[in-house]
Amino acid sequence: MNEEFIVTFLWTYIYLTLLVILGLAIYGIVFRPNIIKKIIALTILGDTANIFMIYVGYRYTYPVKPPILWSWKPNATVLDTFLHQSVDPLPQALVITAIVINLAVTVLICFIAIQAYRLYGSLDVRDLAKLKG
Amino acid sequence: MKRSEYIIGIGIAIVIALIAYFITQAWALGPIPPRDLRGIASFYLYSMMNEKSPFYVSSPEAVTSILWDYRGLDTLYETAVFFLAIIGAVTVFRLLREHEKKVEEHRKEIKEPGMTLIVRLITKLTFTIIMVVAASIALHGQITPGGGFQGGAALAVAPLLAIAGLSRYFVEDVGLKEKTALALRTLGLTIIGLIALIPLILMSLGGLAYFMQNLPKPWAKYIGFPEWLLGVPLGGSLFFYNIAECLAVGAGFTVVFLLLSIPEDIFKKIIEGEKGE
Repeated sequence: MNEEFIVTFLWTYIYLTLLVILGLAIYGIVFRPNIIKKIIALTILGDTANIFMIYVGYRYTYPVKPPILWSWKPNATVLDTFLHQSVDPLPQALVITAIVINLAVTVLICFIAIQAYRLYGSLDVRDLAKLKG
Repeated sequence: MKRSEYIIGIGIAIVIALIAYFITQAWALGPIPPRDLRGIASFYLYSMMNEKSPFYVSSPEAVTSILWDYRGLDTLYETAVFFLAIIGAVTVFRLLREHEKKVEEHRKEIKEPGMTLIVRLITKLTFTIIMVVAASIALHGQITPGGGFQGGAALAVAPLLAIAGLSRYFVEDVGLKEKTALALRTLGLTIIGLIALIPLILMSLGGLAYFMQNLPKPWAKYIGFPEWLLGVPLGGSLFFYNIAECLAVGAGFTVVFLLLSIPEDIFKKIIEGEKGE
């Protein structure tokens, strides 16, 4: 087995694992009756999607560097080296905002869940579905 | 955990490994991870610090340049989503004037809020350190990893720690009430909107400028946001966006923490009172 095969195998393994976690999270959102467990599954779904994005932006090269230029007055050589070593910055930029928005939306859902518990004394969707009005 | 759960977990891992092995042998996904950059990523990395490029950002940090310059409009809308989510949370937990009185009554019952002296002292020390770290993350956003979102998230930890260690009432006495935090957040978002509009407003004086313009472009002979300050790349408007975003995110989460820290029995009394009427 050569190096190429091992690296590709490990990355395929990680992608498939992330897919399985996505499936588990969707299972949790759909089939768990407790709202808190639904919220936990939702955060797992969001985090898995974020990790997937970060992996998509990775690049197999050596040495691999974060997308931050080390020189403030770069010449053509520095820029060329940078382009050959840096990972893709676009997924990282998307993930930053996704994390904050994920957090804000989770806060909103949690607040609604707390209010539902205060008013109806239950967090089970089967009980909440019976309510009228 | 039961033994059957271990067996299920190991079984799933083996099945994934087998599928991954066959996919790799068939070379179905091609070379992953990719060896080369995508075209758009090369463009961003090449032009962000290249003074000859018309898409010069003057920030060596690619993520921040994409966040607030190349994809600035995306980020503006994402900030709007964040704004609306916090507004929704505040609306669900809103307190009427009479309810606020009940919180005041509860406050008078408690003589010594917070934890023991040791915890309070350490909390005060840590509070300062967290604030410094948050400021450093936000102010260095255009040259090192970090930025407004991350700085804001770090900033929000400080009031959370103070609420846990020193009690909600101490934080209110210092002057950080929900309404203050809401006002700070709105101020941050207003500054973001203003920074986006300033080039357009200045355009009325003559010259060329665009909505959300970062730096004065070579073909637009006009004064814009500064690219360098004291020998440090400032990234035009990126620096100001980062400060405003840090304020907005930090204050937004502080509102949420302050609302969550209202004692639960007050809400119980309010709901019981409403049912009694």
